[in-house]
Amino acid sequence: MDIRKAFHQQLEDITRDLVRMAAIVTESLPHVTEALLDGDLAEAQRLIDGDDLLDALTLEVEERCYRVLALQNPMASDLRSIITAIRMASEIERSGDLVSNIAKAARRIYGAELRPRLRGLIGQMGDEATRLLRLAIDSYADHDAALAAALDDLDDRLDTVHHEFIEALFEERGDESLPLQVAVQMALIGRYYERIGDHAVNIGERVRYMVTGWLPEHTGAAREEAKRRGALPGLDRATAPGADPLPEESEQPPPPGRSAAPPT
Amino acid sequence: MAALRHGFTAELDQLRLQAELMAVRVDQNLERMRTVLATGAPGVAEAAVRADDDVDAMNVSLTERCYDLIAREQPVAGDLRFVVSVLRILGELERVGDLALRVVKLAPEWDLLHRHPASFDLLESMADVAVDQYRLALRAWATQELTLAHELVGSARVMDPLTERLMRELLALEGPDAVPCALRSLVAGRSLDRIADHAAVIGARLRYLLTGDPDHLATEIR
Repeated sequence: MDIRKAFHQQLEDITRDLVRMAAIVTESLPHVTEALLDGDLAEAQRLIDGDDLLDALTLEVEERCYRVLALQNPMASDLRSIITAIRMASEIERSGDLVSNIAKAARRIYGAELRPRLRGLIGQMGDEATRLLRLAIDSYADHDAALAAALDDLDDRLDTVHHEFIEALFEERGDESLPLQVAVQMALIGRYYERIGDHAVNIGERVRYMVTGWLPEHTGAAREEAKRRGALPGLDRATAPGADPLPEESEQPPPPGRSAAPPT
Repeated sequence: MAALRHGFTAELDQLRLQAELMAVRVDQNLERMRTVLATGAPGVAEAAVRADDDVDAMNVSLTERCYDLIAREQPVAGDLRFVVSVLRILGELERVGDLALRVVKLAPEWDLLHRHPASFDLLESMADVAVDQYRLALRAWATQELTLAHELVGSARVMDPLTERLMRELLALEGPDAVPCALRSLVAGRSLDRIADHAAVIGARLRYLLTGDPDHLATEIR
């Protein structure tokens, strides 16, 4: 097999493993939501233990990517694919950690009675987080930059449900139907689902980078370049109200241990 | 051959310094974030938004430099681990910058946050912890000291007690503005919590870089 074919075979293997890792997380999400709502401690424990497999797979994928980098010398879009794979492994692994966190929180609120509205909102957050993660992985597997770009907007729905969830928690606390400690754990649970959505958006950004070379930082970098060329106005620091108290770069002494590196 | 090797080593050292410089720029924006949280000053908030563009430009430039090094020099073993670690750390720094900006963008709603002193004080405490953890990470990277990297990994959960206290305070808020205040405070608290997380990841990655121990990579994966 020539070098190019070998590289693409290895890249396919890495892609397959990443999709498998993502499937572990997307399949766990409905189960952890059920464990939470049904007070199923055995299922919660199974999901917590399952995170070890995900951690091990993440290590394997990263190490395989480093070997490819060292031995295959990928260039251009192939290099972007490998770098994307390394970063995606991390995003998927952190999503798995969040599933594990939900399972641990389920144990902490075991025995608490949750009213239908809260239960419904938890179910919705679980469904939205699962949907976002599945779409994110589909965009990766299909190299679909358009779908990847849409994830940020699709995440708005999860953010909206999360807001409703927080409002519902306040109402339950207001009529004292929910003990404070349970409410705190529920607030953390809401945050975990919402962060899974954030990781799906991050995956979308990685996919866009892999397919098109675009990074979200490019937008800020382009603005900065335009300012340097004088194409964009900047604020006068000396006259702006509440002006920046930090001194200009040249006036600031370097902190201890810092070398005098030239600016980029 | 020795001259080529010396040139490559110098490039790696320059990359390390430039990453440190980017980290310093992010640190400046964290300080602006603290000022905005304390005072709500709109001018400082605007300066932070502008400065983040500079951080983004550095991230793009340094990321491309890493890819160029990989493609051109084909580093192996420790050198490859270093370049990949720089890529990882650039990503962490960029995220810290974005999280600081999330807090800064709450400046127009400073009055709302400030109306409830108990939760607001906790946010300021969380900001102090987040900045302290980040500066520990900055120092660790600048000095490449293993003990500092260990310290960061060991303090990964330092923010948890404050996060839980914030949740309790927010859920105890009363009044017509309780829900909007809680939602904005949650955004700020979550961002500060994650800044501390990213500092711990930088420590874990630095530890792996310095030791090459796969168990240390596993810790970063956690």
